[in-house]
Amino acid sequence: MTLLAPSALVIAFYVLLVRLLAGYSIPVFRRYGASFVLSSVWNPGSASYGILPALMGTAVTSVLAAAIALPVSLSMVVFLNEYCPSIVARVVASVTTVMGGLPSIVYGLWGALVLPELLRSYVMVPLHKYLGFLPPFSCAPVSGWTFFTAGVLLAIMITPYMFSLVHEAYASVPRKYREALLAISARPYVIAREFIKMLWPAVIGALLLGLGRAAGETIAVSLVVGNVNAVPYCLFLPGQTISSLIANNFPEASSYPLMLNALYAAASVLLVVGMVLNIAGLALMSRWRSITG
Amino acid sequence: MEVDYGVSASKVINWFVAGITCLVTVLGLMPYALIVTSTVERGVKAIATVGILKFLTALPPSPGTKGLGGVGPSLLGTLALTALSTLMGVPLAFALAMLVTEFPHNIVSRSLRALVKGLLELPTILAGMVVYSLVVIPMGTPSIFAGALALTVVMLPYVTTYFETYLGSVPKIYREAGYAIGLSKAGVALRVVVPIAKKGLIVGVLVGVSRALGETAPLLFTLGAARYYYPTSITGPGDSVSLLIYNFAMMPYPNLRAVAWGAALVLLASYLIVSLAVQLCVRGVEA
Repeated sequence: MTLLAPSALVIAFYVLLVRLLAGYSIPVFRRYGASFVLSSVWNPGSASYGILPALMGTAVTSVLAAAIALPVSLSMVVFLNEYCPSIVARVVASVTTVMGGLPSIVYGLWGALVLPELLRSYVMVPLHKYLGFLPPFSCAPVSGWTFFTAGVLLAIMITPYMFSLVHEAYASVPRKYREALLAISARPYVIAREFIKMLWPAVIGALLLGLGRAAGETIAVSLVVGNVNAVPYCLFLPGQTISSLIANNFPEASSYPLMLNALYAAASVLLVVGMVLNIAGLALMSRWRSITG
Repeated sequence: MEVDYGVSASKVINWFVAGITCLVTVLGLMPYALIVTSTVERGVKAIATVGILKFLTALPPSPGTKGLGGVGPSLLGTLALTALSTLMGVPLAFALAMLVTEFPHNIVSRSLRALVKGLLELPTILAGMVVYSLVVIPMGTPSIFAGALALTVVMLPYVTTYFETYLGSVPKIYREAGYAIGLSKAGVALRVVVPIAKKGLIVGVLVGVSRALGETAPLLFTLGAARYYYPTSITGPGDSVSLLIYNFAMMPYPNLRAVAWGAALVLLASYLIVSLAVQLCVRGVEA
């Protein structure tokens, strides 16, 4: 019986969470309807709230992050499992795990004060110069605090997470498959290729979970994304994401009509997006586990 | 499936794949090396300028003033927040983990497990918003207590998951041995299962501590960023090292940024110490 009291607390928290989110968001969706997510005007003075730029910012930065982190994590998994001595593999895997738990503010500080200049001089300027005809690279990188920087920083932050998910799945492939491949003297790259084909659900699952994590990240992103209300038609612009929008506007939200509501509505949108990604990701992961188990 | 008879395309491909994955792995690990070295280098520089003791106890510089100062009130705040949230979160997590491992096959346990796992996916900034509306507004002021509450929400699912894993991994034989000597269900749980899983439970607590040490987003709206005086009560505003770094990183003053680097080094060092302890305990559990 005493064990049931804590469960009541958890359930109470959920009830309060849903009540808060619904209570604040419903007036916003009633009043603005679809234009809340389709308009790009954010003007608390006239009580106009549209989160399109922030929503697209979240999408662009987290997709960029996952697009960088996935090949890196896959390469790491293949290299560590197939090509390198197991002692090195173990050390690298635990270092990666430790880096995955590093407080995001440490990533954020480095991302705010070191990364922008590095990326601007060595990546953004060359990309703009040689590939500027492509829309994502079309604008001149005026400052280092951009969607691109946020995407790269997020990639650095989610790589350990995606790596450990894929690494775990890779290690759980039953031994008999490796033995079968070795029996036909398959080279390591063939083993890696066949393994990755097998654990495709886990790879996609890791991708979705990584996306979900990137979409929810707040602190590091607000420090690097530039915090400007702009639609990301080009990667080298400063902008914002849903979470950075909340972080920057929440403190003064009570002084404007409906602003607190708008921010709660934005948080609801973020929560729904995150939930869809996470549920899909976890479903794929558990499908993979049921294949091996 | 290629089968290899001597020199062949597959040998070349194999070397190519080895080279590429090696290169990407090294490149992929570089940012972490850069992050740690810049933090250590700049942090040591800042801390060495004022001396470690002063850095850990003095007040930070105000924007626009000269000199470095320290992070005293923020550090005290982080310690208080970590202690408070651990005190609230660990017993709660323990009870939840007990419930779902001791009574695994019923609707309550199954839905609780899902609900607690769901908290893992809650954006941490949302935990701060909820505590702001439920605690900060009624109390009329941000406070260390409110911050600790938000941290508890964030750490709870991690600690519960660890507790659950280690309590659940105690072999059945030990439980049966407990019942055989006439212990009740509660007796078996508390006097057989918990002692066996002790090291694992410590891992869970440490993971919670390492979360609480470094989180920033849940504290943005709940803590109050009062860093120019030592907090005297947990019902009043306070600060944390992480929040100080967040605010100072955005300021255009070199001395505040230097303090931020020093504070980041303090955070990095504490996180690494806790992680090392976790690694040692985990090795103990698995051995």
